[in-house]
Amino acid sequence: MTRWAIVADLERCVGCQTCTAACKHANATAPEVQWRRVLDIESGEFPDVRRTFVPVGCMHCADPPCMHVCPSTATGQRQDGIVTIDYDICIGCAYCAVACPYQARFKVDRPRYAYGDPAMENELEREDPARFGVAQKCTYCSDRVDLGLANGLIPGIDPDATPACVNSCIADALHFGDLDDPASNVSGLLDTYEHFAMHEEVGTAPGFFYLTEKAVDGRPLDTGAPETTGGITMKGVEPWLQQHWDARAAGNFMGGGAGAGLFVFAALSAIFAGTALLPLTVGAIGLVGAGLFLVWLEIGRPWRFLNVFRHAQTSWMTREAMMAMPFLGLAAVAGILDAAWLAVPATAFALAFLYCQGKILEASKGIPVWREPRIVPLIVTSGLAEGAGLYLLAAMVFAELQVFSGTVSVVLLALIAGRYLAWRDYRRRLAETGAPSKSLEVFDRMAPHFTILGHVIPIILVAIGLIMLEGPPIAPAIAGALALASGWWFKFDLITRAAYNQGFAIVRAPARGNGPAGPGVKPGWTLPEKVG
Amino acid sequence: MAPKPEGKTRRVNSYCYQCVAGPDLLTVDVEDDVATVVQPNFDAAQVHPAGGKVCVKAYGLIQKTYNPNRVLTPMKRTNPRKGRGEDPGFVPISWDEALNLVAEKLNKIRAAGLLDDSGYPKLAASFGGGGTPTAYMGTLPAFLGAWGPVDMSFGSGQGVKCYHSEHLYGEFWHRAFTVVPDTPLSEYVLSFGSNVEASMGVCGVHRHAEARARGIKRVQIEPHLSITGACSAEWVPIRPKTDSAMMFALIHVLLHEADRNRLDLPFLTERTSSPYLVAPNGFYLRDPNTGKPLVWDKAAGRAVPFDRDGIDPALEGEFSAGGIELGADDDRWSHDNVICKTAFTALVDHVRAFTPEWAAAVCDVPADTLRRIANEYLDHAHVGETIEIDGRTLPYRPVGIALGKTVNNGWGGYECCWGRTVLACLVGALEVPGGTLGTTVRLNRPASDRWASVRPSRDGFMDYPMNPTAKGEWYEQPTARSGHTTLIPLVANSPWSQALGPTHLSWMMQRAGAEHFPPPTAPEVWFVYRTNPAISFWDTGQVTEAIAKFPFTVAFAYTHDETNHMADVLLPDCTDLEGLQLILIGGTKYSEQFWDYQGVALRDPAAAPQGEARDFTWIATELARRTGLLETYNVKINQGAACLPLAGENYDFSLDPEKAHSVEDIWDAVCRAASADITDGAETDGLDYYREHGLRVRSFSRQRWYLYPALVEQNLRFELPYQERLKRIGIELGRRLHEKDIHWWDQQIKEYSPFPDFEDAPKIWEEALEKNFDIDIADFPFWALTARSMQYSWGGNVGIQMIREVADNVAGHGGVILNPATARRLGFEEGDRIEVRSPVAATYGLVVLRQGIRPDTVLMIGQFDHWATPYAKDLKRPSLNALTPMLLDLTDSTGSGADIVKVALKKVEAGA
Repeated sequence: MTRWAIVADLERCVGCQTCTAACKHANATAPEVQWRRVLDIESGEFPDVRRTFVPVGCMHCADPPCMHVCPSTATGQRQDGIVTIDYDICIGCAYCAVACPYQARFKVDRPRYAYGDPAMENELEREDPARFGVAQKCTYCSDRVDLGLANGLIPGIDPDATPACVNSCIADALHFGDLDDPASNVSGLLDTYEHFAMHEEVGTAPGFFYLTEKAVDGRPLDTGAPETTGGITMKGVEPWLQQHWDARAAGNFMGGGAGAGLFVFAALSAIFAGTALLPLTVGAIGLVGAGLFLVWLEIGRPWRFLNVFRHAQTSWMTREAMMAMPFLGLAAVAGILDAAWLAVPATAFALAFLYCQGKILEASKGIPVWREPRIVPLIVTSGLAEGAGLYLLAAMVFAELQVFSGTVSVVLLALIAGRYLAWRDYRRRLAETGAPSKSLEVFDRMAPHFTILGHVIPIILVAIGLIMLEGPPIAPAIAGALALASGWWFKFDLITRAAYNQGFAIVRAPARGNGPAGPGVKPGWTLPEKVG
Repeated sequence: MAPKPEGKTRRVNSYCYQCVAGPDLLTVDVEDDVATVVQPNFDAAQVHPAGGKVCVKAYGLIQKTYNPNRVLTPMKRTNPRKGRGEDPGFVPISWDEALNLVAEKLNKIRAAGLLDDSGYPKLAASFGGGGTPTAYMGTLPAFLGAWGPVDMSFGSGQGVKCYHSEHLYGEFWHRAFTVVPDTPLSEYVLSFGSNVEASMGVCGVHRHAEARARGIKRVQIEPHLSITGACSAEWVPIRPKTDSAMMFALIHVLLHEADRNRLDLPFLTERTSSPYLVAPNGFYLRDPNTGKPLVWDKAAGRAVPFDRDGIDPALEGEFSAGGIELGADDDRWSHDNVICKTAFTALVDHVRAFTPEWAAAVCDVPADTLRRIANEYLDHAHVGETIEIDGRTLPYRPVGIALGKTVNNGWGGYECCWGRTVLACLVGALEVPGGTLGTTVRLNRPASDRWASVRPSRDGFMDYPMNPTAKGEWYEQPTARSGHTTLIPLVANSPWSQALGPTHLSWMMQRAGAEHFPPPTAPEVWFVYRTNPAISFWDTGQVTEAIAKFPFTVAFAYTHDETNHMADVLLPDCTDLEGLQLILIGGTKYSEQFWDYQGVALRDPAAAPQGEARDFTWIATELARRTGLLETYNVKINQGAACLPLAGENYDFSLDPEKAHSVEDIWDAVCRAASADITDGAETDGLDYYREHGLRVRSFSRQRWYLYPALVEQNLRFELPYQERLKRIGIELGRRLHEKDIHWWDQQIKEYSPFPDFEDAPKIWEEALEKNFDIDIADFPFWALTARSMQYSWGGNVGIQMIREVADNVAGHGGVILNPATARRLGFEEGDRIEVRSPVAATYGLVVLRQGIRPDTVLMIGQFDHWATPYAKDLKRPSLNALTPMLLDLTDSTGSGADIVKVALKKVEAGA
C-alpha cells in the first residue's frame, strides 16, 4: 500500500510563504484562498521568546472527519490516502469545513479576482467554474502525483511528480513521500527526527508531520507544559470564529429543534388529551421546514440538494435530512387527517431528527465546542423544552390545548431542569478538556442570563402556574416563552458567536541549529483544568 | 482542477533578479499565450546554489505582468505644477511623441554642454534595488555610457537602506562589498541584526537551513525577534544601536581574558598589520630609506622592514627603535630612538576598558552572556586546523560574524565593521574556509574577479582606489551632487561609487546648499527606473519636495507611483516576464550567492508585452538613435555594456555600429559571444540555444570563494587592526576642506582614527534630534526601527495583491509592532490605530503585539505610507521612512546614516 504524506521540518522552515505562493500558482486559487500557508507562531514572554513557522493545510488524515460528515460523498479518500473532493457532486454545505480541525477547507461562491472585476488574463485562463460554491482544499497536487507515476516518476523525488509546495520550498523544509514505504524519504525522516502531528488528540491521524529535532536514542522527549503566548493575540493562528455557517444554519437548529419538540407535544396532547393536531402540526412543520429552507439558502450549490441523501453511512447531515422527510410527510398527513396514531411514527422521526441535529454538531470536529459529545443531550433537551414552551404559548391562543398544559408544564419543568443539568455538564466538560478561550467567554457572558432567564425564572413560573390553577395559564406561557427564547438564544450563540474553530498549535517548538527544542504552544486556548 | 492538456502549455526560461540576493532561475508555464505558473528551474538544480529555486517574490511576477493598474501607454504630464497635491493630468501619447519629447530635452543638453554651471551633470538617473535594475534595463547602460557624465547620486535608499559602511570598509579591508559567514562550513555565527532569512534570498535561506540541520549555532543579536532571530539558536535582545559596545567587549574578552595562545598568532603576525610598530604620532615607524613600515625582529633584536626575509616579528611589546613617521601630506618625523608599540599591543591597550561589565550597562545584555558568547566564538574557531578546498590546504576557522544594515550604517558603523573584522583576525577567520568572507567587489576593479583586484600597496597591504586627498590631487569640484569624490575617499570612483556616496546629501542640498560647495542645481533631465525614492528614502516629505522641483523627469513606469507622480513623461517598459535579456550568473555575488559555476542566463519573454509596453533594449536604441548617439551606443554594447564584450580572442560578434539593431539581433549577438566566452570559442550558439536551455555555465573553483589564497600568493596582509591609512587621509581631507573654508564636515573627519573609540550612538541620535528640531527628547521615548520583508524588499511588489496576501501570514506586516508591556502602559490594545511621531513627521498603523521585541522599541516592517501607488495606497500602512531625518549630524564619515529614530506613540481615531 501507499500512503502519501508531507513531512515539514520546522527547524528549516523560515516562514517565507514561497510554498503558499507556489500553491496559489499551481492550483489557481482565488484571492485569500490558501490551500497551503505558513503560520507565524510566537511563544514565551520577553526576553525568552520563540517564533516558529508552521506550514499548514489539508492534513490528508487517515480518519478524515470531513469525509465522514460529507452528506454528498463528494469528499472521498483514495487508496493512497489523499483526501479528495468531487466538485461535481459537492453541494457546498460546508459541513466538511466545520468538521476539519485544520481549517483547511474553503468555499468560494462566486468569481473573485485579485484586483476586482474584470479578471486579469491569467485569472481567466485558469478559472474553473466547477470550483464555485463547493468545498476546496489541498489535493497534495494529486494530478502531478498521478501524471508523474504514469510516467514512471517518483513522487517526492522527481519534481514533476511532487506537490508544488514541496518543489518550491527554498529551505528544503517540506518533503513528500510514501509513509508506507519504510525506505522512503519521509519514513527516513520520521525515523531520524522527533516529530508530531497536529491536534493528534482529535484522533484524525494526519498524513502531515512536523519534525522538531534530531532524535537521540535513550533521551526522553521533554514536551513540557505548553508555553504561554504572553498575552498576545495571533490572528490566523489562534481559534477564530468559523464563517462557514451563519445565522441561516443557526436558524435550522432553532427552527428544527423547536419544531420537532413542538410536534412531540402536539402528538402527546392529541394522543392523551384528544386535542386537534392540525394547528400545532402546521407550526411544527413550518418551523422545521423553515430551518431546512434556511440551510438550502446557505449551501453553495442549492440545486444539487438531493445529493444530501447520498451518505447515510456516516453523515449526520444525510441522516437529519432522511429523518426530516418522513417526519414532514407523516406529520402533514397526521395533521390533515387529525390522525393521532399517525403522529406516533412522526414523533419518532421528530425525535430522531432532533437527535441528528445534536449529532451533526458533535461530528463537527473542527469546532471544539460543538464536538464535545455532551452537546447532544443539551440540543435534545433544549429542543424538547423549546417545543414544550411553544405548546404552552400556543395554549394561550388555542384554549383547547389548556386541557393538557398542566402536564406539559410538569414536563417542561423536568426538561428545563434537565437542560440546565446538561448545560452545566457540557460546560464542565469543556473546562476539563479545554476549549478556545473566546468560545468560553461567549458562554460565560451568556451563562448568567441563560441560567436565570432560561431556567430559574421559568421553573418559578411553572411552579406558580401549577399552584395557581385558576385563570388562564399565563405564568406557564411566559415560562414557555422564556424556555423557547433562551434555547434559541443559546443555539444562535453556539452557531454564530461561540463557534471558534480549533486554531493551530504545536506540541513542541523546534531546535534551531544547536539551540534546544522547546515546549509547544496552543494559542487562544483555555487549557484543561486539572480534574480531581 | 482538471489538469490542462499538456500540449497547450509551453515552458519558458527566465530569471528573477528582483533583489540583491539574486539572480535565481525559474521557468514560466505559458498556456494559450498567457503566463500562468512560475516554478523553480529544476534543470538547473545541480548548478544553482539553492537547487534552482526562487523565493516568494518571483511568484508575484504573473500578477505583476497582468496587473490592471499598469501604465500601458506612454504618457505626458499636462499639469505643469508638480507636487503631492497636484493632479499630474497624465494623458496618453504615442511612443514617437514620447521619445521625441525626451530626445528634444536631451539634444538641448548635448548642444549646450553636459555639465551645468555648478559642474554637475545635467542628466541624472536613479535606479533602485542595489544595482538589480541592470538585469532588466537591457542596453540602457550602453546608452548612458555613450552619453557621458550622468549624476547617479540621487539615492533611492543607498547609504540609508544598504550595508553602507560594510561596502566601504569591507572593500577596503578584504574586497568585500558585502560580508557573510562561510555558511556551508561555519559552526558558529554571530549575527548582529543581519536578517538572512528575510533579505539574503534563496541562497541565504538554503545555506543556513543546511547549516542548521548540521547543528550550527547562530546567535542573533537584535532588539526584536526577526525572522532570522526566530531561526537562530539564541536571541540576544540588545539595546538599539549599541552593537559596537558588545563587539568591543568580545574583543576585550579575547585579548584580556582568554589565553593568548588560543588566538591565531601566526595569522595575526603574518597576515595582518599587528606586528607593525606604531610611533608616537600615531603613524607607523618606517624605514628611512624605503619608507616601509618596521616590525621588531625578535631574532635580530631590532626593527626591520616588515617584508624582510627570515625575520621573526614580535606580535606584542614596546620597543625602542629609530625610523621615520610619514603623516598627512608632507608631515614627516624622524626618530632616532623612540618607544614604539606594536599595533597589536596598541589594540590590547585600546580595548582594556571595554569590559563585559562596561558593555552590559550599555547594551542591556548581561556580562555573563557577553563573556559566554566570546568564549563560544573562541571555542568554535578551531585555531590551527586546516581543510582542503579543491586540492589546496587552507586554514579552517568555522566562526563568522554578520552585520545588519542599521548596525553597520551611520555612526557606529565604523566601530562595528572594524570590530567584526578584528574579531575575525584574532582567530584567523578572515577570508578562510568557515570564516567571515567578502562576496564580491563593486568599488575595486575588475568587478568580475576578487582575486584579480588584489594588488599590493607599498605597506604590504592591498592597494585601494581611494579618492585622493593629497594637495593638488583632491577632487575639489564634486563630480556629482553628493560630493562623493570630494568628501568620501573610501567610496572610490568606480561606476558604483556615485550611488554609494552620501546620497542623502544630494537630496538635502536641493533644499539648501552647503557653504563653499558648488551651488545646488536640479538636473535638467532625470531618468528614474525601478525606484520610488519618494517612498523609499528618508524624510520622504523633503525628498518629494525636491523631486517636484526637477524640471523634466522621465519615469520608466510600471504603475503610477509617488515619484512618477512628479514625472513629465511616463514610458512603459516591459516588465520581468515580457523583456529579453542575458545576464551573468555564478561566481560569488553579494548576499550568499556562492556558486560552483559561472556563466549566463536568459530572460526569455513568457508573455507578450501588455498594451504599448516596449522592451528596454528597444527604448535604449531609440533614445540613442534620436540623440545621435547610435554609433557610440553600439560601440559600448560591443565593448560589453550588455552583459559581456561581443568580441574575444577567438570570436567576434560585434554589431555594426552604424545600424539600429533589433532587440533580438542584439541579444543574439550577446548570446553568441557568451557561448564562445564560456566554451573558449568552441561553441557559438545564439538566442535559440538559450531559449531552449536557459543558461550556460562553466565550473568555478571554490578556492575563489576565499581571498586568503590571493593574499598569500602575493605575501600581503589584511590592513587590520591598526588604521594608519585612515588616520592619514582623515587629516588630509580635513586640511583640504578647511583650505576651502568648509567646516560642515568636521564631525565626520574626526571619525578617521586608527582605532575606533566607542561612540555612544544612541546619545548622538538623541542630541542630534534635540539640536535640529528644538524638541525635548524625553517626549520621544521609543526607538523606532524597521526590518526587511522577503515578500516586499526590493521587488516593487507593494501593488501586487498576491504578495500582500501571503505576506500577511507573517506577523507584523503593515502594523506597528510593540511589546505588550509597552502597550499596557500606554493603554493600547491589539489592532488599535496609533500615531508614531518622530520630530520629523508622523505615520499611522495598527498595533501588533509581540513578545519578541524590546519594550523600548517599536518596529515597522518594510516601506509603505503610499499615497499614489494603486492598491498600495489603500493599505494604509506605516513606514519608518517618513519619520527618519536627513541630517548632517547623523551622517558618518562614509556618508551613511542609519534607519533609526526616536518616536512618540499615541492612539488615534480610526480613519486617521
